[in-house]
Amino acid sequence: MDSEIALLHNYLIVGAFLFGIGTVGFLSRRNMIVMFLSAEMMLQGVSLSLVAWSRFRNDFGGQMLVIFIIAVAACEAAIALALVVALFRRSGNLDVAVWQQLREENQPPFEEPELPEEPSEQPPAWPTLAPAGLLPKVPPEQTDYRSHV
Amino acid sequence: MFEMDILLVLIPALPLAAAVLTAALGKHLLRGQSHLPAIAAITLSCLASIMLVFQVQGEADRTAGDTERVGCERIVSLWTWAVVEEAYPQTQSPGDAPADHGSGAGKLPLPPVGSGAGKLRLPPVGSGAGKLPLPPLPAARSFQIDVTLRADPLTAFMLATVTFISLLVAVYSIGYMRGDPGYWRFFAYISLFVFSMTMLVSASNFLLLYVFWEAVGLCSYLLIGFWYQKPEAAAAGKKAFLVNRVGDFGFALGVFLIWTTFGTLNFHDVKIIEQTVLVDEVPTPSTTLVPEGYVGNAKVVGQTPGVLGQTMLKGPGLYEDLYQGLYADRWEWVATAVCLLLMLGACGKSAQFPLHVWLPDAMEGPTPVSALIHAATMVTAGVYMVARCVPLFLASEHALQVVAVIGCFTALLAALIALTQTDLKRILAYSTISQLGYMFLGLGAATLMGVTAGMFHLFTHAFFKALLFLGAGSVMHAMGGVIDVRRFGGLRRLLPWTYATFLIGCLALAGFPLLAGFFSKDKILEAVHGQSGPLYQALFWVAVFTAFLTAFYTFRAFFLTFHGEERVPPEAGHHAHESPPSMIGPLVILAIGSVVVGYFSKWIFGFLEQTPSLAYGGVPQEAPGAEHAAGGLVVGVSVAVVLAGIAAAWLLYVGRRAMVEQLTRAMDSVRLYQLSHGKFFFDEIYGLLVVKPLEALAWMSYFVDRYLIDGLVDLCGLLPKLLGALLRPLQNGMVQFYALAMVLGVLVLIGALLI
Repeated sequence: MDSEIALLHNYLIVGAFLFGIGTVGFLSRRNMIVMFLSAEMMLQGVSLSLVAWSRFRNDFGGQMLVIFIIAVAACEAAIALALVVALFRRSGNLDVAVWQQLREENQPPFEEPELPEEPSEQPPAWPTLAPAGLLPKVPPEQTDYRSHV
Repeated sequence: MFEMDILLVLIPALPLAAAVLTAALGKHLLRGQSHLPAIAAITLSCLASIMLVFQVQGEADRTAGDTERVGCERIVSLWTWAVVEEAYPQTQSPGDAPADHGSGAGKLPLPPVGSGAGKLRLPPVGSGAGKLPLPPLPAARSFQIDVTLRADPLTAFMLATVTFISLLVAVYSIGYMRGDPGYWRFFAYISLFVFSMTMLVSASNFLLLYVFWEAVGLCSYLLIGFWYQKPEAAAAGKKAFLVNRVGDFGFALGVFLIWTTFGTLNFHDVKIIEQTVLVDEVPTPSTTLVPEGYVGNAKVVGQTPGVLGQTMLKGPGLYEDLYQGLYADRWEWVATAVCLLLMLGACGKSAQFPLHVWLPDAMEGPTPVSALIHAATMVTAGVYMVARCVPLFLASEHALQVVAVIGCFTALLAALIALTQTDLKRILAYSTISQLGYMFLGLGAATLMGVTAGMFHLFTHAFFKALLFLGAGSVMHAMGGVIDVRRFGGLRRLLPWTYATFLIGCLALAGFPLLAGFFSKDKILEAVHGQSGPLYQALFWVAVFTAFLTAFYTFRAFFLTFHGEERVPPEAGHHAHESPPSMIGPLVILAIGSVVVGYFSKWIFGFLEQTPSLAYGGVPQEAPGAEHAAGGLVVGVSVAVVLAGIAAAWLLYVGRRAMVEQLTRAMDSVRLYQLSHGKFFFDEIYGLLVVKPLEALAWMSYFVDRYLIDGLVDLCGLLPKLLGALLRPLQNGMVQFYALAMVLGVLVLIGALLI
């Protein structure tokens, strides 16, 4: 019995983690697709704990419910992605804050907090492949360490 | 030859059709030809009315020897307008009526109520006793209003008068209204008015009478305000409408009281028929006639007596027996109340004191309207109504005295005002009020002769007053719209036809011997003189004095307009000319009428006396204790005062105008002139007593509504608004914010659960 409980705890912990990650993702990201993914993740966390409880209590109701959830989630994904596409077409942007004019009248708009300027980076350097049949001329100081890939 | 029923329906239906047609097509299609439907319809109506008069006369002649029926009464029920079942419970069955009421010899046998309506025995067919007995009253009567027209001498007479005068005025209007932008509108209104007026005089119940009473009031309002761009015309229309409301309110109360008293609003008796009678149950007499007691194949099981129906009028004791109803012990009071309320309505419509103030202002309308509606026809509706209800008025001595006194007082008052007016149309308007007063005086005399004389005066007055108004319109037409008698004069060479016809009208109005007005006014004076009692004798001498005033003011206006040096106001331009033939024609016809209709008095009196409500209604033929030798005296006195009046006017206004100045100054010093010229300040008094307080009330209501009621409502609206202002920042459009709020909320819930 104890092992059963321990097993349940494992599942529930994983489920709670999934849910928590999803929540944090949903609250912190403004990209609509990522928000949608986060929401899915919360859903899966809940489904997982449902399955775990179902197994623990020997009650298949929970598993059935999860199957339903998966089916519904598929439909929901289709609709949500269609919506995202439509919104993207209208605004050319995936940022959900673009749609913030759907607020109560006479309310001040949300203003982007000024971010500190990021330090300008080196232009990215891409790996170059040596022509076939030749040993690449590698400088001896770079043979065991590469600063970039 | 048409059936009487068809004629009766056609007379109002044709003008209605013309009104609808003109209103629909006039503006865009008929335009300058808008008079065609109206003229055609009114002509046909007029012919139908005249045919109806002869048919009614023929019918009356046929029943001359019949003891059961007198005269002619034909009822056409078109459809049922409203029914409320068992609206009038019979509180006391007539069979239980106290015997002391019915001790009169004229009481008809009432069958015992217990026998029941359904079990009424059929009279044996073929035997001489086939008369319908006075049926039992049903236990409860329904409130049923049928659209019912009636034909009897009084109605036929009114129909003929109204349609004939309407026809002439409509023809006159073709010339007078030519070129007016509202030409089509005018003829649509006129047709509508003729429809309403013909319906008014042929309606056979009080509610229908009331409806068309209002309808003619509406037409009057529309036509007074015909030139609605003119502020005076709009104000005059409003005034006429509002003053009439006062009278109509009284009339409505009178109708309510009639319903509660009599349990019916019909003038005529209504047969109650049993619907389910098989054909073979109808006893077939040897002839093909429907047996007595049957209508078609339905058995007549009873009869609801009308207010003025023959059943009710036949026996003098029957009022009390049949209709004590709710007011058994107060019948005298109720009768007086009903009559006074009806008289209030008549005062409003017929411009009698205290409600006479609207008629002079109504002269702002087009002159043909003044002639038709405000002189010849609509204003006589009150006279017609009182004449129709004379059997009711006879139940109350006081009501009749009130009618006589109001009529006589109004006649005097209006004549005094007319002495000093300077607006030709207004002089005629006050003269109309005065002559209507004469008619009421005649009705108030309460003898058959008085009533018929009042109606006869209505008839002759329609001719000469329409003639005078149309003549005034002709003057106005030539003078470029100027109607003030001080601004023109000596027009007799300029307007020869108008002059001649106007002279005839004036002579008829003044009561010059051998013209129409002479006969009718003399009959009224004779009827009043024939009544005994100091009141009626006083009224007689006041009426004689008024006759003097009438002759004087009529000829004052006539001499000022047509005699003296020729003066034409600048508005007339240089082309002051006689009116076109379509205007002169009606003038000539009316002038001929004003001369000759007086000679038909004998026939008309005989005709009107066959009206069942007058013949049966217990209207006394002669006043008790009348002096028969009075006729000569009355004629002599009246001729003398008329000649004196005309002579005085001649002396002052043709002979020496300087005397007018002196007289005016003399009168001025005792303030009599202002009193007459200011119309006895009725407008000012009413303004102070009625209009100002009402305006103050309206002003107060406005402020209470605007600031108190509206303030409370606004306050109620403010509360949710404040609450909303608190919550509004939460809806900021950021999805993450909502999600965060949800998460926090769930956390709070979980926290609450855990604790």
